[in-house]
Amino acid sequence: MSWAAHDLEPYVIQKELGKRIAFVPLLIGSYAPDLLSKWFVYGVSLFGVDLKADNPAQFHRGWPGAGFTHSFVFGVAIGLLLYAVWRNKVVAYSFVVGQWAHALTDTGDTVGTMLLFPFTDHLFAVGAWAYAGQTGRYVDAGAYFSGLGFVWDGVFVVWGILSWRVLTRGYFRTTVMAADPFWRWAGRYLSEATLVALYRASFFYGVARWTAWLIWAHVVRSFAFDLRWGGPRWVPRIYARDLNAAAGCRCPGCCSMRPRLGFYGAVAVCAWTKGLIASGSGRRRHARGRPRAVRSRGRPRPLSGARTRWRKSRRLPADPRAERPG
Amino acid sequence: MREVALYLAAGVVYVAIGVAFPEFLFAWVVGVGFLLVSVVVLPALVERFRQ
Repeated sequence: MSWAAHDLEPYVIQKELGKRIAFVPLLIGSYAPDLLSKWFVYGVSLFGVDLKADNPAQFHRGWPGAGFTHSFVFGVAIGLLLYAVWRNKVVAYSFVVGQWAHALTDTGDTVGTMLLFPFTDHLFAVGAWAYAGQTGRYVDAGAYFSGLGFVWDGVFVVWGILSWRVLTRGYFRTTVMAADPFWRWAGRYLSEATLVALYRASFFYGVARWTAWLIWAHVVRSFAFDLRWGGPRWVPRIYARDLNAAAGCRCPGCCSMRPRLGFYGAVAVCAWTKGLIASGSGRRRHARGRPRAVRSRGRPRPLSGARTRWRKSRRLPADPRAERPG
Repeated sequence: MREVALYLAAGVVYVAIGVAFPEFLFAWVVGVGFLLVSVVVLPALVERFRQ
């Protein structure tokens, strides 16, 4: 899991895509995978009743559990739902981009995410920092800000600060508002100063929280830094191989693949790719202006084509075939 | 420039509260509410009292 990257990624993506992306669905997409599951991972107390997952890591990232929220298909399904409701392609794919960014970012820890669910429940994990959600949120925070996790978040803090232009009022007015219907709707009720503050809120939250947790973990408390791969080693961590009852073989195409669904998925991807290639070549032909003329084999070349006329005007030797009598 | 200073001041106060009371850092809604109060509501109130 990441503590600040999900707040900051949308601003970096916004900078790259400009008017081609709608900020609010992008931000909601970036939060979506953890929106309904995180509280149950750490546990809450309601009216004296403690609610917490028996196996937090399995619930958060695995199957059975809510791990499907970290898959590509989940993003596409919600994107299609948004399209069905709003009939707005930008809103739909903005959500998908945000959700995919979250799912990919979370592959950085030792548990990883089920990116290709439901075709396979294999957990794709880079394993750079320890997954310690089962230890409770304070120890998890201490562990995250002592390993490579906080470095990864730091990359987004720096990248976000370097993208400061997306935070300016002018950029908000000309780009963010123009692309996202939410701000135009909210602008009927709220002042521009409030809208801009709301737009900047996640950036503020991400950067301030990253700073505060870092100070808390190493000044107020004394969690030890351990920047080794998969660290910190002092925290009890969970690995992808511990979840989803994955047996001996760890490859995605073996023990955890549902063969029939995997086959259908592969066919769908092939068909989609073929369609994409076909539409791409069609676009290229269109861009040239007109389709190529097809000359029949028996028919001679025209004598006074544009090239011949141009060569004659330049007094260069013409194509010998052009001298040929009709 | 005044706007940047306002956000920076809000950030410093937020970090200070968060370090003292880490529970404050968990809720996104609390963070957004804090920012709105700091950079929109309070300056508007100050402006009104000045007039």
